[in-house]
Amino acid sequence: MSTAIVEGFRRNATIALAFGLAGLLFVIGTVHSSEFASANHIKNVLVAASFVGLVGFGQTLCILTGGIDLSIPSTVAGGAVLTGYLADQDASRLLWIVPLLLGLGLVVGLINGVGVAYAGVPPIIMTLGMGGALQGLLLIYTNGGRASSPPPELVDFVNGKTFGLSNQILVWAGVTVFASVLLTWTTLGRKLYAIGTNRTAAYLAGVSVRRVLVVPYVVSAIGGALTGVLLFGYLGQAFVNMGDDYLFSSAVAVAVGGASILGGNGHYIGTVAGAIVLTLIAGLLPLFSLGTAALQISYGVILLATVFFAGIRLTRKPG
Amino acid sequence: MSELQAAMETTPQQRGLRKAATVWRKVDLPSWMPYVYVLVLAVVIYVFEPRLITGPGAIDIRFGLVVPLALVAFGQSLAIFTRGIDLSIGGVISLTTALLATHLNSTSRTFWLELLAVVAIGVAIGSLNGLLIAVTSMQPFIVTLATWLIWGGVAFAVMPIEGGTPSSTLVDGVFGAFADIPKSVWLIALLFALWIWLRRTRFMVDVLAIGSDEARARLTGVPLVTRKVQVYAISGGLAALAGIWLTGTNAQGSPTSGNQFILWSVAAVVLGGTSIFGGKGSIASALVGAITFLLIPDLVFALGLQSFWSIFLQGTILVLAVTSNSLLQKRSIR
Repeated sequence: MSTAIVEGFRRNATIALAFGLAGLLFVIGTVHSSEFASANHIKNVLVAASFVGLVGFGQTLCILTGGIDLSIPSTVAGGAVLTGYLADQDASRLLWIVPLLLGLGLVVGLINGVGVAYAGVPPIIMTLGMGGALQGLLLIYTNGGRASSPPPELVDFVNGKTFGLSNQILVWAGVTVFASVLLTWTTLGRKLYAIGTNRTAAYLAGVSVRRVLVVPYVVSAIGGALTGVLLFGYLGQAFVNMGDDYLFSSAVAVAVGGASILGGNGHYIGTVAGAIVLTLIAGLLPLFSLGTAALQISYGVILLATVFFAGIRLTRKPG
Repeated sequence: MSELQAAMETTPQQRGLRKAATVWRKVDLPSWMPYVYVLVLAVVIYVFEPRLITGPGAIDIRFGLVVPLALVAFGQSLAIFTRGIDLSIGGVISLTTALLATHLNSTSRTFWLELLAVVAIGVAIGSLNGLLIAVTSMQPFIVTLATWLIWGGVAFAVMPIEGGTPSSTLVDGVFGAFADIPKSVWLIALLFALWIWLRRTRFMVDVLAIGSDEARARLTGVPLVTRKVQVYAISGGLAALAGIWLTGTNAQGSPTSGNQFILWSVAAVVLGGTSIFGGKGSIASALVGAITFLLIPDLVFALGLQSFWSIFLQGTILVLAVTSNSLLQKRSIR
């Protein structure tokens, strides 16, 4: 019992570290420019962070089980480009496009998951190859993978408000609640942690390891495709490389949020903090007239620093 | 005890059978697959479009493209043998091409010194990776992901957009032939020779030992820190060489030129039948894997398909190859 409490504290400490970092960055921004703390700017930061956050849900589940999903850029771009290609600015078509994307995401996720869980393919290679294959298919099918002008209703939804709160932020909040319940209070959540901690032990304890291991990849593929639809509305255009930023930024967000890349450790709440940290950095640097170079360097340094400090905590674990 | 005695009381015939079985089990099928892939691809390409294989300059162009990938695949193999991975090569290549295209473009006597300096930067970056991985408890994936971002960022600072004018000595230097054989072919042959020498060294034994069981390797006296620093230093140095070659063939630099090589190099190693879980594998197979990977666009061209198909086929072939490998080596639930 006491070890459970210590373990809980340890996990929360790394998440608290990530939120502390977000707070620190926010204070720096506010000191530099009072605009930074305005409600409108906070909303903009959260909306920008939500996309990494949304793809970060599936990525968190994959990393929890000791895997990773590198096909996210292709599922995001696939969701966006297909929506643009099939909807042709007609929002009523979204009624069948979204279920279609759900189905396609399910298929992609199943291929990834079955490859990883049943054929024993290393996740990094499986999802990498799958991402390439998907990107190729998308280019072939849409002849270049470009789409402009999303349906106006989609743009209105992403940028609009309900009860004074941004829809996009509400969607993210909903996913956060869902993910937290899933990870903390359901058996599926406990099984994911168990597999990530020790696959053999989980198997011996009666977890049907292979079947459970498919779930994160399905969640990630479906999440990627649906995030792509929203991102299409947000950016107003879709192209085949639009998801490339999420290849590693989703994994960086998860790692900054305190999850161990080896699995078994971490929580989606941490990923939320990680996504906010990454977005705050991206928003802060222009204030100091720093560009892409500084952005990449600071992402790298933040990643090293947070993982290093989380590691110190973990290596002190007795036994 | 009786089981042990029973095991010892075997006839020579039984022992012979067991030995044959062991030899067969030791044949590492996945590491021979890339040779099959290359042959099949080359034959298909030759049937549909012979000039891609035998036309003037065809070999020169093919191998000129393979050289940078072969160089990074060599280093990536070493990292993967230790159960690690080196994503930072993307940053090293980008930084190298950026430096060569902007700051180091002399054709004078300092030319070789400059190239040496660039390789030294690669080795230094790699050593730092190795130190961080060996001394802290951080995963190679995380460490090299972070250093890729950092050095890729530095490349952006050196050179914000692609372009620049690299030294004409370098641009002229990478093309052409030596003793009637293209320089690129010599370089690839050199990498094969290097592997044939390396695989018999103490270094290689240690590297594979670290990959198969790090704790046991430490107990048997493998100098973990030294070996890891060496592995990542070699990988960094080879990535810098790849950057030099790339700057020469493209006649320009780019702050993002290295990024695609991260995934390509892992793909080449995996197509070479090396398990990503470390401990075994062949760099020769990885080099053939690199050739396989870059023959796919030619296959697509030979078949008269849109160029998009090569992205699809590269991904699909990677998935199929790795799935068949892992089914060939299948163990139970783990």
